Amino acid sequence: MAAMDMNKAGFEQALAGELPVLVDLWAPWCGYCRRIGPAFEQVARENEGRLVAAKINVDEEPELAKDLGAEVIPTLLLYRGGRALGTLVAPDSKAAIDRFLAGRLGE
Amino acid sequence: MSEPHVYDMIVVGGGPGGCTAALYAARAGLEVLLLEKLSAGGQMALTEQVDNYPGFEKGVDGFSLGEKMQRQAERFGAKTLYAQVERADLAASPKALYTTGGVLYARTVVLATGADPRRLGLEREQALTGRGVAYCAACDGMRYKGGTVVVVGGGNSAAADALLLSRVAKKVILVHRRDTLRATRVYHQPLGQSGNIEFRWNTVVEGLLGDDRLTGVALRDVRTGERTSLSCDGLFVSVGRAPASGLARGQLALDEAGYILADETTRTSLAGVYAVGDVRTKPLRQIATAVADGATAVQMAEEYLAGGA
Repeated sequence: MAAMDMNKAGFEQALAGELPVLVDLWAPWCGYCRRIGPAFEQVARENEGRLVAAKINVDEEPELAKDLGAEVIPTLLLYRGGRALGTLVAPDSKAAIDRFLAGRLGE
Repeated sequence: MSEPHVYDMIVVGGGPGGCTAALYAARAGLEVLLLEKLSAGGQMALTEQVDNYPGFEKGVDGFSLGEKMQRQAERFGAKTLYAQVERADLAASPKALYTTGGVLYARTVVLATGADPRRLGLEREQALTGRGVAYCAACDGMRYKGGTVVVVGGGNSAAADALLLSRVAKKVILVHRRDTLRATRVYHQPLGQSGNIEFRWNTVVEGLLGDDRLTGVALRDVRTGERTSLSCDGLFVSVGRAPASGLARGQLALDEAGYILADETTRTSLAGVYAVGDVRTKPLRQIATAVADGATAVQMAEEYLAGGA
């Protein structure tokens, strides 16, 4: 499954679901966010059925971004059962995202 | 146990040099794998507007150009794997790359690993990165809209960063250790005319202020030794780049700055290993010169492979 663009309602619904949710906080003007895009999409595909990959545009969802405590973008946030499992700021490789997920989800 | 698969060529790094090597290799009928740790384009992907690469009369954004180069190589059969190379045995036969995607083997290796921004080497610089300390004005500049930012450096990238930031920030203070810029002349006039760029000559940043977020910088005048502090919202470090040649260390000859020693042929000190783009010793590091290296490396690799490697 490809990564999905989410607003507040969609995100809350995903959080209430059974699968872990990996959020990518980004904005169109953020160059480094674009660089992470392809790797994030691939992580979403590789973890199909095991993870919901959500993209939240902080310009369109400023309140949600603030609630999530995002100081800088790109930031990846991981949740399971509504609980925050961790934060990864500006990963420099797809491998860093994979390691983050493996470490937090204990796979 | 079955024999491991051996590629004709593995290209490490998906910037313009690496993508061009993959394109030429695929078109030459070589089985080529491109390894990229994050996304195609390399440093170019963080450049908002590329105006000096021929063929794009209105300029092109670097990220899109990177994607185009990657797709062009893939159109002729090059494969891309998003993986990071952790260690390499370049003298082995076949050459072995130990990656986050497993061990990969190839008869030839093209190192197109590029360069990374140089850091100031200050205490807590790492901890405050992304919390006020930044290395890419094009990427992070918008965060400092209406704020005061300090730019450190005196070369072309510092001048370009200061200009870009002057359009976003309320005030830009350019701190340089000398009394004049090394930047090309084209930057001097716009810098002087911007109206909100201040200069601190003969000055170095020697400390970062603030606890969990940068609030200012500690400065020292290198002539008088006088120390001052300056409040700011952001610090942009534009003091040049360092080659990403870690994989080659101990295996290939490097120059004293860490660049892989290779001339226009891109041949390194090991047969079958080529260095292209910013990571090799060269007089000008540009997209145009990286692309040229990529094409040359494949020509050299074909000659090497034809010799029975």
